[in-house]
Amino acid sequence: MIAVIAKLGVSLLSILALAWFAKLLNLGGDLRIRDEDHARALAQEAVFGFVATDIVIDRAGMGALLKDAQGRQMLLRRHGAAFVGRLLDRRLEARLDQNFLTIGTGEKTFGSITLNLGDAAQYWAAGLRHVPA
Amino acid sequence: MTIPDLPNPIDYAVPGFILLIIIEMIWAKRRAPEKYEPKDTLTSLAFGMGSTVAGLFVASGVIAVSLWAYDFRLMTIPFTWWAWIICFFIDDLAYYAFHRSAHRVRWFWASHVNHHSSQHYNLSTALRQTWTGFFAISFIFRVPLMFLGFHPAMVAFIGAVNLIYQFWIHTDAIDRFPRWFEAVMNTPRHHRVHHATNPRYLDRNYAGVFIIWDRMFGTFTQEVYDEPIRYGIVKQLGTFNLLWSVFHEWVGIAQDVWSAPWRHKLGYIWRQPGWTHDGSRETSDTIRERWQEEQAWKTSTSSSLAADPVAAQPQAG
Repeated sequence: MIAVIAKLGVSLLSILALAWFAKLLNLGGDLRIRDEDHARALAQEAVFGFVATDIVIDRAGMGALLKDAQGRQMLLRRHGAAFVGRLLDRRLEARLDQNFLTIGTGEKTFGSITLNLGDAAQYWAAGLRHVPA
Repeated sequence: MTIPDLPNPIDYAVPGFILLIIIEMIWAKRRAPEKYEPKDTLTSLAFGMGSTVAGLFVASGVIAVSLWAYDFRLMTIPFTWWAWIICFFIDDLAYYAFHRSAHRVRWFWASHVNHHSSQHYNLSTALRQTWTGFFAISFIFRVPLMFLGFHPAMVAFIGAVNLIYQFWIHTDAIDRFPRWFEAVMNTPRHHRVHHATNPRYLDRNYAGVFIIWDRMFGTFTQEVYDEPIRYGIVKQLGTFNLLWSVFHEWVGIAQDVWSAPWRHKLGYIWRQPGWTHDGSRETSDTIRERWQEEQAWKTSTSSSLAADPVAAQPQAG
């Protein structure tokens, strides 16, 4: 039993050491959405067949909102050293504060993100009223 | 028959795993820092440790079932060199059957999805092992070996060796091996396809050690170089929350079974991941079909353009 506990203790220390080493090496980098083409490609990766026709990108490139020809809207946001996307539906929660639009998908573990959309914030906030059920 | 006292090979392999992860991290630092993400690595390794702990709790159950099956064996296969080789091949075939089911039956997928939920593909991903394999009764795929007559100790040892082999193929750092090796063995190139979410790659290359099973059963796809691979699952988790990462698909099954009409409830357990009775979600098959239609359309459009570039131009009015 002591051997098992010791083995688990060593495993735990090794795990923490490896995660610390990855951080020390600054792995992961600082990914941002570069431009509309990049956002479009990320959206297509998130949901196959989603061809964005209207795009707004956060000023810092941390996320984006996109619409397609079918009226679907997608939220993209950074997740570690990758990006994740969700199609928005009626469960979404949105709050507008001048140029800043805070959006949650209604999915607790996905969290929410505040996007600095500049002058486009109001337009996109209004558009969120029309997401599908 | 004398039963040898076999060690657990994984205990001896762990220092090697750690060393190789460190080497791969240094490679990533120099060549591709985005291949690793510290939080993702921590999650993956926590999965590995949790899986070991879960294994300690359920080991006695697995041993009991294995010994029970061995009591009904067709023959008694001794611990000789040829038995080890045959056992290794049959065990790898059993692994293929398990792995294919783990992607095609939602009950098994709920456990196996843990291994795929990272958006990164590196050696730490290999250690992203399930905590709920016993609950999902995944071990039944190895039970036929005991019925055949292989002793449970031999099967357990071989299973561990199979798992160790699969560690090193979880890397982007190795491009490809000589053709003869790629033809027979599972390699990083083949396994990258398996972890990809690109429609062309979904539910392909289930092999453990020998890629021949995929070639035999029509599930092999070659990696192509003109399309970047995207790793993870079709609906990426978007969280590093360990408990959610472990149990999310089980929660999904429970919610779906609860809300489905009675005659469709079981469908949410034994059908493909993504299946719904009203067709409101997509399976890997439907995604691939749409992708194939898109490719066929692109091909026909480009052939029309080549044949008659003027006619293919948009007409005014």
